[in-house]
Amino acid sequence: MPGHRTKGFCASAVALALCVLAAGCGGSGESVGGGKVVLRYTWWGNPDRAERTEQAVALFEKQHPNISVRTSFSGYDAYKQKLAVQATGGDAPDVMQLDYRQIDQYASGGVLLDLAKQKTVLRTSEIDSGLLATGRVDGTQYAIPQGRGTETVVYDVKTWKDSGVPLPKQGWTWDDWADTMRALKKKTGQPGATDPGQNEDAFEVWLRGQGKALYTKSGELGFTADDLTKWWTFTDQLRREKAVSPAEQTTQLDGSVENTPLGRGKATADNNWDAPSSGYLAIIPTGIALSPMPSGSDGTPGQYFKPSMFLGVSAHTGHAKEAAQLVDFLLNDEAAAKILGATRGIPVNESLREQTAPLLKDFDKTVADYQASLEGKLKDPPQAPPSGDNALQTTFQRDYDQVSYGRMSPRAAAENYVTEAKAELRS
Amino acid sequence: MTSVSTAAARKPVRWGRVALHLGCLAALLVMLYPLAWLLATSLKPADEVIASLDLLPSHLEWSNYKTAFEGVNDVSIWRLLSNSLLIAGGAVLGNVISCSLAAYAFARLRFRFRGPMFAFMIATIMLPHHAILIPQYIIFNKLGLVNTYWPLILPKFLATEAFFVFLIVQFMRGLPRELEEAARIDGCGPFRSFFQIVLPLTRPALITTAIFTFIWTWNDFFTQLIYLFDPDKFTLTLALRSFVDASSQSAFGPMFAMSVIALLPIVLFFLAFQRFLVEGMASSGLKG
Amino acid sequence: MTTTAIPTGEKRATATTPKRRPRRQREGAAWVFLSPWVLGASVLTLLPMAVSLYLSFTDYNLFDPPHWVGLRNYTQMFTEDPRYWRSVWTTLTYVVIAVPLQLALALVVALALKSMKRGKGFYRSAFYAPSLLGASMSIALVWRAVFNDGGTVDNLFGTGGWVNKPGWALLAVALLTVWQFGAPMVIFLAGLQQIPAELYEAAAVDGAGRWRQFVSVTVPMLSPVLFFNLVLQTIQAFQVFTPAFAVSAGKGGPADSTLVYTMYLYDRGFVASHMGYASAMAWVLLLVIGVVTAVLFRTSRSWVFYASEGER
Repeated sequence: MPGHRTKGFCASAVALALCVLAAGCGGSGESVGGGKVVLRYTWWGNPDRAERTEQAVALFEKQHPNISVRTSFSGYDAYKQKLAVQATGGDAPDVMQLDYRQIDQYASGGVLLDLAKQKTVLRTSEIDSGLLATGRVDGTQYAIPQGRGTETVVYDVKTWKDSGVPLPKQGWTWDDWADTMRALKKKTGQPGATDPGQNEDAFEVWLRGQGKALYTKSGELGFTADDLTKWWTFTDQLRREKAVSPAEQTTQLDGSVENTPLGRGKATADNNWDAPSSGYLAIIPTGIALSPMPSGSDGTPGQYFKPSMFLGVSAHTGHAKEAAQLVDFLLNDEAAAKILGATRGIPVNESLREQTAPLLKDFDKTVADYQASLEGKLKDPPQAPPSGDNALQTTFQRDYDQVSYGRMSPRAAAENYVTEAKAELRS
Repeated sequence: MTSVSTAAARKPVRWGRVALHLGCLAALLVMLYPLAWLLATSLKPADEVIASLDLLPSHLEWSNYKTAFEGVNDVSIWRLLSNSLLIAGGAVLGNVISCSLAAYAFARLRFRFRGPMFAFMIATIMLPHHAILIPQYIIFNKLGLVNTYWPLILPKFLATEAFFVFLIVQFMRGLPRELEEAARIDGCGPFRSFFQIVLPLTRPALITTAIFTFIWTWNDFFTQLIYLFDPDKFTLTLALRSFVDASSQSAFGPMFAMSVIALLPIVLFFLAFQRFLVEGMASSGLKG
Repeated sequence: MTTTAIPTGEKRATATTPKRRPRRQREGAAWVFLSPWVLGASVLTLLPMAVSLYLSFTDYNLFDPPHWVGLRNYTQMFTEDPRYWRSVWTTLTYVVIAVPLQLALALVVALALKSMKRGKGFYRSAFYAPSLLGASMSIALVWRAVFNDGGTVDNLFGTGGWVNKPGWALLAVALLTVWQFGAPMVIFLAGLQQIPAELYEAAAVDGAGRWRQFVSVTVPMLSPVLFFNLVLQTIQAFQVFTPAFAVSAGKGGPADSTLVYTMYLYDRGFVASHMGYASAMAWVLLLVIGVVTAVLFRTSRSWVFYASEGER
């Protein structure tokens, strides 16, 4: 009905429209007045990492008054989606955090800048060469690792000790591990750990313990259906014995520590990465510990120091030098290292790692000690996985789901996987 | 449905009413249980948020709310709230105006190609939006509109949400033509007819459009994700996701707390506007 | 179609013939009304749709320029991809379960609310409340907790967890949608509001009881809205994404039992970076939905009644 209500509505509508106009216009455009260079820097992580990174960035801006950095972050999954859309639109941020599995795709897609061109401002001499090589594709350095982590068997100390089962020790083999799981099941009544069958990373460790690899240097599958069948039969057998988590538990994994059997109190251990395991502390106040992953039967270690994340620069950036300066700062600057701590994993710059080691507290220290105990014992990390690996990680999980729910035999599922993988890697 | 029958059937009707209310309350209990769970979880300490399958927390963890109120990434919760409000409000305005205009044309006016264009409009609902996401992003990027609120609001002013156009069309088609015919006899053109007759009569549909637009825009995570870069432009829904990160320690408790906080404005909005749905035809000019 | 005491708009003796404006003028008015829609539809919808159709015939990994492969995406989808067919089957099952349940519930509650005298506003808001949440991450976690081993449903019915059993997980997803029936309910309510009270009075005067009134007044007058809800909910059900994504944490598990069509599409397009294949999937979906909707529109002629247009 026209009348007083319409007037009020119209007035607020006009006000709203003006606000919208004002908001919409603000905030676009690259350069701030004053001739400053503006860089965009994005990463993924939790609010704690964000705080530390902001602090470090503020320090950088102080050191370089002509550069202004606009930051943005989100959770991991959201970050990946967003970066993909931005990159496609030619709009990738100047400096971006990248995952191991994104390197190959982004590099060959022309999204990343060749960092060797900036070597005057971007120093890499203090970084372990094996680690540095992981950021190379076809010989060109497209990204630099920012932190390193490694896999671990993380466990609830109290429960394990109470069970009387001997604690894991370095150099234990997969057979030792299997027996330990069985013993834990007997003593605690619960599965020993998460079923590693669905975990492509665990499979990789197992493969490397036998001298094999997930992918060959040319980007093809590095194993056969027989290998995969052996692995899946091994884990499925343990699942049937209830020594590892049942399918109903395993299927709920979503990447967060809270949704693992260990996180729910339904298992004593889990296979995870070292730094993210800090999440267990809040859930298991009595304490957790990190132990190495099992090795192959002849003692070959399968795990490796994996770059936890990389820093890359957009190939379309208008400010390559400044972007490289920011990267250099984040990697090599002492003060920055102190602020960032181990939020992205242990620093890759070797002298910085030694310097910051004594300053690390609590779980950061546990992680550093754990990595130090493995120093020199592990083999070089493999090169960045081919771009199909992103999809294959999920396919791996899905195919194993068929096995753990008893819908397919390990052999049938393995053959399925290998066929799909070959098709995926070819395309 | 009222005046004739109630006089004769008062006593049985009361039992019927009681039964009706009881039934609704029982249904509500079931319906609202998950919401109760949401509220309860927002007060659970970190080790219980996922692990505990009990409804009630062992103790009330108010610090979750404190953390949520601090906002994310140095952006206060009030800023996030006002950003969300701005976008949702703009979207409501856009949809109500543009969709009603288009609906009137489809429902009441004759023009060449009306049939095919209507069919096309319905077809636009059928394509999953993931398929046109990338091309749309590229268009907005070329227009330099990324990292502004324009990609989130402008489409609403251009009647791109066929859902609402269709909704309003259906309502308009249900209106008897007598009033408009009478107006036409009096010399009213389509514009006056639209603004003074049809639009007021379609109010339930417009209110529905406003409510749904507000809520859906508020919750529309993905579009906000890809178009907004600066954290101080983020919305509440977007900031929520920052609490959960698979690669490092998540903060589920504060995330739930923030979800509850994020719910409040839309609850209020709904409560405020759903009253107008009541006054449908009762006081309209149908008998005029 | 029963037409007891329902006034039809068209049949009316007119003493005067209304002036008809010249056709060009009337059409011009139509285009003015339509201009925002035309602009939006062509730039923001038609153009991206055309691009996505083009992409469906290409191999496009989002980074390199797309290159033409003709029908290969389509043939691969239909003949070499068992997971594709699994997602089709899952989606069809979901549609058949979720749509009728949701609509029936929405209608029943709307009718119950309409006949209520007091507390209407409260009930309406309360029943609508679940829909306010969308399928956010928090509600996903709540749902997974409630339907888990040892969760509320398990404690009440002893069925064990739903979200981790292949046969049951889809049911949990469907229930999430059905739980959020607030939107169709509100639309039904608005439609019920629009039915003129005098129709019911006239029917009652003619001796019609409650049920007869429902069948002869409510159903026909509500049919445009019912049709709308049916069409839209069906279309949305075919495109379901967020409930399935939320309940299965994005994995479509357990064992692909909640891998609905658009989730698989998203997986192929954004995770595996096969945008061409995903676009092909999108267009097949569009065609299927188009056919289903066309069928619905066809059948609507026999049961949908528009008061302003008489019987169609």
